[in-house]
Amino acid sequence: MEIGPIWRALLRNKTGAILIALQIALTLAILLNAIAIIMERKERMARPSGVDEANIFYLSSIGFAEDFNEQVTIQDDLDAIRNTPGVVNAIQSNSVPLMGGGWSMGLQTEAGAEDSTGVAVYFVDEHGVDTYGLEIVAGENFAPTDITWRQRGDTGWPDKLLMTEAMAEALWPDDAMSAVGKTVYINGNEPITVTGLIKQMQAPWNGWNGVERVMLVPQNTNFGSTRYIVRAEPGERDRLMPEIEQLLADRNKDRIVRSLRTMEETRERSYQGDSGMVNMLIFVVSLLTAITALGIVGLASFSVSRRTRQIGTRRALGATKSAIARYFMTENLLISIVGVVLGGALAVGLNMWMVEEFSLSPLPWLMIPAGMLLLIVVGQLAVLGPARRASSVPPAVATRTI
Amino acid sequence: MLSMQNVAKIYRTDTVETHALRAFSMDVSEGEVVAVTGPSGSGKTTFLNIAGLLETFDSGVYELDGKDVSRLSDAQRSGVRNEKIGFIFQSFNLIPDLNVFDNVDVPLRYRGFKGAERKRRIEHVLDTVGLGSRSKHLPSQLSGGQQQRVAIARALAGEPRFLLADEPTGNLDSQMAASVMGLLTEINRNGTTIIMVTHDPSLAGQASRNIYIRDGEVSEDSSAETLPEEAA
Amino acid sequence: MLGYYLKLGWLSIRRNPILSGLMVAAIAVGIGACMTIFTVNYVMGSNPIPQKSDQLYYVQVDSWDANGFDENSEPVDQLTYIDAMNLMEAGKAFRQVASHRTGLVLEPTKEDERPFLVDVRSTHTDFFPMFDLPFLYGSGWDDSADKNQDQVVVLSREINERVFGGRDSVGERVTLSGLNFRVVGVIDEWFPVPKFYDLTNGAFNEPEDLFIPMSVSTANELPRNGNTNCWKELDGDGFKAFLAGECVWIQFWAELRNERERDEYLAFMNAYAEQQKELGRFPRPLNNRLRNVTEWLEHREVVEEDAQVMLWLSLMFLAVCLLNTIGLLLAKFMGKSADIGLRRALGATKGSLFVQHLMESAMIGLAGGVLGLGLTWLGLRGIEILFGDFVQNLVTMDWVLVLLAIGLAIVSALLAGLYPTWRACNIAPASQLKTQ
Repeated sequence: MEIGPIWRALLRNKTGAILIALQIALTLAILLNAIAIIMERKERMARPSGVDEANIFYLSSIGFAEDFNEQVTIQDDLDAIRNTPGVVNAIQSNSVPLMGGGWSMGLQTEAGAEDSTGVAVYFVDEHGVDTYGLEIVAGENFAPTDITWRQRGDTGWPDKLLMTEAMAEALWPDDAMSAVGKTVYINGNEPITVTGLIKQMQAPWNGWNGVERVMLVPQNTNFGSTRYIVRAEPGERDRLMPEIEQLLADRNKDRIVRSLRTMEETRERSYQGDSGMVNMLIFVVSLLTAITALGIVGLASFSVSRRTRQIGTRRALGATKSAIARYFMTENLLISIVGVVLGGALAVGLNMWMVEEFSLSPLPWLMIPAGMLLLIVVGQLAVLGPARRASSVPPAVATRTI
Repeated sequence: MLSMQNVAKIYRTDTVETHALRAFSMDVSEGEVVAVTGPSGSGKTTFLNIAGLLETFDSGVYELDGKDVSRLSDAQRSGVRNEKIGFIFQSFNLIPDLNVFDNVDVPLRYRGFKGAERKRRIEHVLDTVGLGSRSKHLPSQLSGGQQQRVAIARALAGEPRFLLADEPTGNLDSQMAASVMGLLTEINRNGTTIIMVTHDPSLAGQASRNIYIRDGEVSEDSSAETLPEEAA
Repeated sequence: MLGYYLKLGWLSIRRNPILSGLMVAAIAVGIGACMTIFTVNYVMGSNPIPQKSDQLYYVQVDSWDANGFDENSEPVDQLTYIDAMNLMEAGKAFRQVASHRTGLVLEPTKEDERPFLVDVRSTHTDFFPMFDLPFLYGSGWDDSADKNQDQVVVLSREINERVFGGRDSVGERVTLSGLNFRVVGVIDEWFPVPKFYDLTNGAFNEPEDLFIPMSVSTANELPRNGNTNCWKELDGDGFKAFLAGECVWIQFWAELRNERERDEYLAFMNAYAEQQKELGRFPRPLNNRLRNVTEWLEHREVVEEDAQVMLWLSLMFLAVCLLNTIGLLLAKFMGKSADIGLRRALGATKGSLFVQHLMESAMIGLAGGVLGLGLTWLGLRGIEILFGDFVQNLVTMDWVLVLLAIGLAIVSALLAGLYPTWRACNIAPASQLKTQ
């Protein structure tokens, strides 16, 4: 309607408008970059670990007595756990996905090749696939006869392994699905045959760029400290956890049973930094938007009280109440548009710098207009109150002598 | 064409009731120049505000142009002000952030005229008040007399039937006051009814009719024999 | 005059409580956000041992695989057992210690108490004087204990509390994973943040519960409980093969008191590497590093990237809050034009008005700073809730931070007040006196 004169009047009285526009610009820049980070983290947190997270828990057992016979204890423990009602299956393993600590090796497709592909190692027996809840897409699971015992300090490897599709793709980019039956080399020249492909399973480290590269090795371990992975029937996990802990503690006094934890807790801990960052950013961005809105309210109120006489004059000259409210809404809209345009540019610049400096992922383009729109709406809502107050200035103010 | 019958206005605060107008009656015919005078607090400004539909009143009847305007809504009253009434204020009330052109443009915008029509009217009224060359100036760049001329132009741009003037020369020196008064006389000659509230006896002397208000009532109403002639 | 300005400022703040409140709140929130994030960054980036940080050097001799080496390659971050022992043996520095992390089971003597796991640092005699560990009772072990594989232990205050009820336990016995150790010392509270002496295994972890000689842990094949990397296949199975292999798992520090000692030590490291090359080890070109504590912390980038990102965002946040304050102050001072015009007419100079309004800004800043401190405390508690264990040791403020917060708030408010004050002082003396 009357954009021309509003704009020209704004140009004559810039300071307040510039302050608001700058606030909006900075807010948008922060908002958009925060959203970029939030989306990146959410995406990372949404990746599946590949195992039956809802029903798995684990605990570790450390023998300390001189005469502690680890191998026998492990076999007996596993029998006892597997025979507990409510347990689907259980294994001994060195780690679980997302736990943060584990074992990695390098595999290569040719003996003695220079480069090797990093892979996370899980030691499991023939129950590993069932306990973790994995899906074999090619080849077959280990047989009970494949399982050997690994002592601390052993350097040799068994002659079979299962690997994830992602690992097979990394080794044979063109021919991943026919990986079964192929030979890979570990420690430079020790051959192992791939006997099966697993659809998906994550390594223990969520931040590793090879997080989907995993191999299962058919071994039980005698490392002094052992970890049992237990998969419960749906709904039985929470009942079983203290029961299994007690079972192990009672069976053998010469050890410490500790670190009882569910997969769900493990996921939570693993991504605590990410989810903390997400929550903090959401909080900061909300607070910031609120502050900017308050700033708009403050300055618009000031502008209304400064222009009381002018408003009265306009009313005398025939402006309706809604025309007065519209004036302030339009004025705010113009300021907001300047602010978001500036802020859009600032956001992109800031994002480019942060991508460079902190290896963040770039801003999704669609977010820019969405963020702009959001701040414009916030601005309009913020100015609603002052605009209403402006519209209630009585026209008789025009004839009042001050 | 303006008729008030027994109009009363009471201002109430928590403790005090002020009868600004009590049983105020007057009729103004088309083409008159009416000067309303009276001591401070007599109700002049209240009369002006009610006549200009800037304020509502508590009782009585007010007809403007043959239409009862007592019970119009706020928006309707805005419309009447915009179409039928032109205001001239003692302190000009130009909008300081807008230049001369945009100031005159204000009521035309509310009227909803198209751009070309507004431009034609603005240029015409600015020429009428002799400020055609100043349209890009800001109010602060003009003298008091020039500012009041802009205000008059703004009041005239919508071609109102009435001009309501509140001490139009109150903030001007005598020379400027004379020229502003000359302008008003000329406007009246073109058919616009003018009602002005003033202290200034010389201004009142040039009106065709003088109304003296005291204590919220008309206490004297005298018409001049002849319209004073401008020295040509 | 100052008192008068303070009084005027106070009156002005009181006259406009909502606007003043908004300004104080804006500054407080900005300061709170900034200081919360800054505290985390500050603690992450703080110097854990300021009195010696330029004399303690992290030793890296590069024993790693030549594959994938280029001129930008950093040396491997830890030492092999062979190299650590060789450097200890050579003893070329004023002091030197090799150490690594291990975990053992502590079996309390009381029957009813369950055994529990303890974090253990396996190291040498010089660890204690080198890193200035404060002793509550006794002392570290001496050189001969290292040589003779004496089963001696230094306890942390907490463990001494737990096992011996806090009494002077020097001479008492503790059983660790089946081995019998004699207590020689108990250290007092010692908590370097970051944990500079072992950045490889968690830069913000707590120090270990107890300390034992490394000679004892290797002789008894005690488990390692930290990061271990090998590049070459071991020559056989078992612990001996592991110790002889190209596996890095030991941190090595040297105390070098001046530039000359530093240069000499680096020369020694390089000579050592050449000598190992002749023995067929060290396939890479010469690639050794000697970094002091601050350089080492910087190199390992202990300040988390997320914390840095948040710091930048929070600074921008503060900027928004300041823009906000500028706007509100401007509104406030312009609203006082009549008052200012009157004062000018009564003879106030621009200078005095300038000081008067800056004083008012400073008062608002001070209030914002104090409130901001409260918000910082809340913010830190919030971070603790959001990030859990990881930040536990990062969310404490010291008096430096408190002063910084208040100072930042006042400076911010003064900066924000500058432009509005300047505008206010330029109001013409008479302009506001005549009627409009």
